[in-house]
Amino acid sequence: MPSVILKDTKFHGNIIEKDSITVDGIVVGNIKAEEIIIHQNGNITGNLTSDNNIEVGGQVTGDLSSDRIHLNNSAKVSGKLSHRNLVVDEGAQLEIGCSTRKK
Amino acid sequence: MFFKSDKKSQVHGFSHLGENLRFEGEIDCKGEIEIAGKVKSNIKAKKLTILESGSVKGLVQAEDVEVLGCMVGNIESVNIYIGGKGVVRGNLRFENNLTVLEGADISGHVQKNKKEKIKRLDSDKVKYLEHNKIAS
Repeated sequence: MPSVILKDTKFHGNIIEKDSITVDGIVVGNIKAEEIIIHQNGNITGNLTSDNNIEVGGQVTGDLSSDRIHLNNSAKVSGKLSHRNLVVDEGAQLEIGCSTRKK
Repeated sequence: MFFKSDKKSQVHGFSHLGENLRFEGEIDCKGEIEIAGKVKSNIKAKKLTILESGSVKGLVQAEDVEVLGCMVGNIESVNIYIGGKGVVRGNLRFENNLTVLEGADISGHVQKNKKEKIKRLDSDKVKYLEHNKIAS
């Protein structure tokens, strides 16, 4: 079963998950997972590394690295992005540097 | 999954850490949390459940603790429940209820903290302070 962290929960430390992880709470630390989904109340301070997919609807301060990165309209991201596919919705607040990996 | 959180109202459901999750650090949860992965951390929560595949190393402080998996470290809680496959290495401190099912593996001190004692001490303190006020 994939992991879910709700908004009443705070994590201090690094998370490694071989499955999918959904975060709606506060995480201070790096996250490594196959798929990372950050919801609207999510607040991450740290780097996100994923094999497949990162979806951001909350706040992230740190570097993102994934095959596919999707920044929703409620996303606030500052950091460096490394990706193959990048999707940015209207309304996302960004302070980012992007680099597309070669296929 | 358990994801019905409105902005204003309280959180419905509980956080879940899956089987393949590994975490080192600190967890502070105001609601319920369920652990099926490997966690090395101190945990504060309202209700903590360690599932059969879960293992926790660290100090646990919660109102309700349910151990169905492996737990290394001390538990401080109001109610503690240890299932038949539960393994605990550490001290148990509880205030109300301790439940241990047949087959559970426990080694450590077990102690009941009396809530009334603490309350009495507090009320004594208040009386003492009031007395001081009147005297002065």
